[in-house]
Amino acid sequence: MSLVNFTTREITCKIVYYGPGRSGKTTNLHYIYGRVPDSRRGRMVSLATQTDRTLFFDFLPIDLGQISGFATRFQLYTVPGQVYYNATRRLVLQGADGVVFVADSQARQLDENLESLQNLQSNLLEHGVDIRTVPLVLQYNKQDLPRELILSASDLDDALNFRGVPSFSADALHGKGVFETLKGISELVLKRLAAGTTA
Amino acid sequence: MTTRAVENWTLEPLVKFVKEASARLVLVMTSAGQVLAQHGFSRAVDVMSAAALGAAIVASTDEIARQMGQPPFAALNHQGERHGIFLAAVATGRGRLVALVVYDLEVSSLGLVQLFFEQLAADLQAASPKDSVPKQVLAADFERELSASLNTLFGR
Repeated sequence: MSLVNFTTREITCKIVYYGPGRSGKTTNLHYIYGRVPDSRRGRMVSLATQTDRTLFFDFLPIDLGQISGFATRFQLYTVPGQVYYNATRRLVLQGADGVVFVADSQARQLDENLESLQNLQSNLLEHGVDIRTVPLVLQYNKQDLPRELILSASDLDDALNFRGVPSFSADALHGKGVFETLKGISELVLKRLAAGTTA
Repeated sequence: MTTRAVENWTLEPLVKFVKEASARLVLVMTSAGQVLAQHGFSRAVDVMSAAALGAAIVASTDEIARQMGQPPFAALNHQGERHGIFLAAVATGRGRLVALVVYDLEVSSLGLVQLFFEQLAADLQAASPKDSVPKQVLAADFERELSASLNTLFGR
C-alpha cells in the first residue's frame, strides 16, 4: 500500500515486475538503474543464485522528484520467475501498489506467460487483492527477435490482455519500451492515489 | 545521528528505544517494507534497501513458520563480529509492523536490545492510530508533472 506522509509531503509506492522466468524483469531494472542519475536512485539489491537467476527479488528505489508538491519515490521489485520459487514470489507481491507483467514475446513461451499470469492472479488473491482492481500494465518484451519466433503485440493482447490494460512492446535489453512501461504503471498507481483510494 | 519519522506517532517510542538500547541503526516499517521511522541512516534510498531486505527476512521466516503450522517467530537475531542485527514484529493499530535494529557489540548487546524492545513494542502499540481513512493525495492534473519528472529521470 502506498505510504503517504502529509506532514513531510512524501509518497512511497511499491511496483512489482512479474512474469515468467527469463522474460526480462531484471533486465528492465538494470536498464533503469543504468539510465537514472546516481542522485536519484539507491543501490540496486539483487538476491540471485550463483548463475544470476533471481532467487528472491531485485530491488531498486528511485526518486521521481516533486509531484503535486509531494516528494515521490518508487520502490521497484522483481520476483523470481521460475515456477519453483512461488513461495518467495508471493511474499514480494505483498503490499504492491502496481504490477508490471513482463511477458516473453516468443511464440513458444505463450503457455509460460499464461501460467505466470494465472499465478499472479492466484498470488494476489492470497493477499486479498483482485487482479481486476490492481493497477496493471503488460510489457511484451523481446519484440526485437526475428518475426518468425515471436507473437505480435496484437496477438499477445488477444492472448493475455483480458482487462484491456495499457500494453507496451519492448526490447528491454536495449531499453526500448522500458521507460514507457514505467511511465504507464506510474500513471495508473498515482491516478489511484489521486482518486483518494489505495490498494 | 538523525532520527526521523514518516508517521509522527512512531517518533517518541523510537527515540526512547534508541537511547535506552544504545542502538546504532533502527527501522520501523510495515510488513511490506515501507519505512515509518528510522534512526541512524544518512540517505533515504539506502534506508529503503535495508527495509526491503529486513521485511523480506521476516516474510520468509513467517512463511516457514506457517508451513510448519506454528505462529510466526517472535524475533530473529544475527550476530556478526562487530554488529548484531535484531528483527522482530509488533502488532499495532496500524497493522503488523517490523522493527530492524543494528547494534554495536562494544556498546550494546542482544540482551539489552531484547529488554528494551519489549518496551518499544508496548509504546508503539499504545501510540498507534486505530484506523486510517484514505485521503485525497495528488491533484487531478498530476500527470503533467509525472511526465516531466520521468523525462528528467531518463535524461529525455
